[in-house]
Amino acid sequence: MGSAKNRNSAERKARIEEMRRAERARERRGRVITISVSAVIVAALVVGGVVLVRSQGSDDEAAKPDKTSGKFVAGDDGVNTWKGKLASTHVETSVKYPMEPPVGGNHHRAWMNCNGDVYTKELRRENAVHSLEHGAVWVTYTSKASKSDVDALAAKVKQTPYTLMSPDEKQKDPIMLSAWGHQRTVKSADDPDVGKFFETYVQGKQTPEPGAACTGGLPE
Amino acid sequence: MAGTAAAVLVAAGALTYAAAGDGSGDTVPDAGSADAGFARDMAVHHQQAVEMAYTVRDRTDDEDVRRLAYDIAQTQANQRGMLLGWLDLWELPKVSADPPMTWMGMGDAPSAGEGSLMPGMATNAEMKKLGTLNGEQAEVFFLQLMTAHHKGGIHMAEGCLDKCAAGVEKRLARTMVNGQQAEIDLMADMLRERGAKPRP
Repeated sequence: MGSAKNRNSAERKARIEEMRRAERARERRGRVITISVSAVIVAALVVGGVVLVRSQGSDDEAAKPDKTSGKFVAGDDGVNTWKGKLASTHVETSVKYPMEPPVGGNHHRAWMNCNGDVYTKELRRENAVHSLEHGAVWVTYTSKASKSDVDALAAKVKQTPYTLMSPDEKQKDPIMLSAWGHQRTVKSADDPDVGKFFETYVQGKQTPEPGAACTGGLPE
Repeated sequence: MAGTAAAVLVAAGALTYAAAGDGSGDTVPDAGSADAGFARDMAVHHQQAVEMAYTVRDRTDDEDVRRLAYDIAQTQANQRGMLLGWLDLWELPKVSADPPMTWMGMGDAPSAGEGSLMPGMATNAEMKKLGTLNGEQAEVFFLQLMTAHHKGGIHMAEGCLDKCAAGVEKRLARTMVNGQQAEIDLMADMLRERGAKPRP
């Protein structure tokens, strides 16, 4: 009897112990779930908050897609012409241009002065593109261009309103000429194609904003 | 002598016209044409924008607004010169007995008030008010007036795209549509930066 009682008692203890273990396991699972769910909610809130703040921070910048698309088509005269679309929205953000130097696309609201201005430092592309929109021709060169060529081109630019010049180490050729939608390489400063490009494109038919100024913009 | 000069002028006009492309003939537009009407009316429309831009530059130190105003004044003054230059080459008058916008079939359109000769143009009272405001108040009013002005300008330039014959003039009209739309977008940004909106 006594032993049966003891056995019952032991069984009961074991059952209780088993129930407690199950209870503890449930609690552990519950805690894990609670912590996991909380963590997920917190993470979602953080991510959502960041996304929200970002989307508000950039405001309508996010709603300003760069519609530039297309490609250069080489002409018989050596001038590459952009076939496709060049966007022209004013943006505060930096723009990824599909060509170097850029010949169009979204740009900053301020233009670089281009009234025969010669810059010795690389320009912010977003400002130079705005100058092209005003009808300017942009002369760019790399460190591979000879000093005599750079000096001669600078002299030519200085006496030609609606042109500007600056170094651009990222371009593929030592000397390049760009206008809105058009670009070419020239071998040297005395290459006759320099004069031809100027005559065709300085305030040429490609100008998106005829009559716009090359003064009153950014001086450096 | 004067006759020769006139003949040369007319010939130059005809050449310009023929070189313009689209236009098939070698004739000069007449005073009642859309080509002449657009050149006349847009020259007047542009002149008010130039005046508005000069005015706001005297009323604020804000770099962005002053630069935009400089851009508009320079661009539209130069384009005015092109329009008036074509009228000179065509030997056509700068004014017409018909009301503005007649060439677009809008000669009887109601005016927004004295001084507002065409859609989008500010009234004399609004121009006067702009000249009395200072700082951000002047900036916001300018951006609102110029937004409305550009909307009217785009509408008129679209009329030329539809009705003008001279290719060179249509090309300029197209740049006005695109350029002024880009500026309307920029001005909406600038108004938002100042906690304001374009006027309805």
